[in-house]
Amino acid sequence: MSAVLRAPALLGVGLVWLYRVTFGAFFPTTCKYHPSCSEYAVQALRRHGLVKGSILAGWRLLRCNPWSHGGFDPVR
Amino acid sequence: MILYAIPILSQLESVMRHVLDWFHSNLGLTWAWSIVATTVLVRMILVPLTIRQIHSMQNLQRYAPQMKEIQKKYKGDKQKQNEELMKFYRENQINPAASCLPMLLQLPVFIALYYTLKHFDFGQNADLSWLHPLIPDISAKTTSSWGGYVLLVVYVLSQMASTFFMAATADKTQRTLFMVMPVIFVFVIARFPAGLVLYWVTTNLWTVGQGLITRRLIAKTPAPAPERRSSRTPPKDDGSSGNGASPEATPPKPAPPASQQPRQVRRKKKRTSRR
Repeated sequence: MSAVLRAPALLGVGLVWLYRVTFGAFFPTTCKYHPSCSEYAVQALRRHGLVKGSILAGWRLLRCNPWSHGGFDPVR
Repeated sequence: MILYAIPILSQLESVMRHVLDWFHSNLGLTWAWSIVATTVLVRMILVPLTIRQIHSMQNLQRYAPQMKEIQKKYKGDKQKQNEELMKFYRENQINPAASCLPMLLQLPVFIALYYTLKHFDFGQNADLSWLHPLIPDISAKTTSSWGGYVLLVVYVLSQMASTFFMAATADKTQRTLFMVMPVIFVFVIARFPAGLVLYWVTTNLWTVGQGLITRRLIAKTPAPAPERRSSRTPPKDDGSSGNGASPEATPPKPAPPASQQPRQVRRKKKRTSRR
């Protein structure tokens, strides 16, 4: 992918990092999945771009609820 | 802030303002106590999720020894350690206590409160009534009064306490890091409106209370070891199949070859899955 096409996804990655160093840092709960939700989001954004990556990350967050079992769940 | 350009945020802010206003005008609370009431309301809504987490924690407690073993086995490799733990969870149908969604649900509340405090003119009654010196004005910067400094100290202590109960990790260095973090954050938070710190303190205290109840519940429930059931079966087997030699052979050797009675093989399988 060219740099121009990659820019929106990098913006998303930046937002994830912003979350990590601000709000995320206040709640030191570790995720029930591996990789963790934010790591998953970064990988999904890098691999699938802003739109699909965001959808994948959002879906993962919804799955990361107290009723799910968690586990090893990499970005496909 | 740039974030405010997102339309949903202004709607969140208006919802927050209405909730605060409801507490203020209907229950006659000061604005500061309205924030406390709103925080409690949010945490009460999250209680079903919390109860589920408590159950998970109780369940997790039973598997603690096995999990420690896994952690010891892959001490050098964090990645592998995580993967093995996750595999163990799946095999034993364990539902880990931590999950991202309940935590993230608090983010919109926090943002909404932040903008409400920034934009809304609270006028009078923006204090904690009889605790007036502590927070004279919730929309003012926390450090603008000496009470704000007291609040910041309370924040740090409450954050440490809540971390103590909530941090799902058993890793010592990580835990220490989490405990030290509030001390660093306090410099950032000092510039926030006092009402936001009040929210944080309230939600932390709720977490601590929840943690205390959870601990008591976990302490009360005995930890039955589900694997022990397998050791109860042999007496029954001895009577039915009459294999006198094999039970003698098994105890000293932890892992003999699999060419034995089918029942023994099954027992071995259980043992390997435990590791």
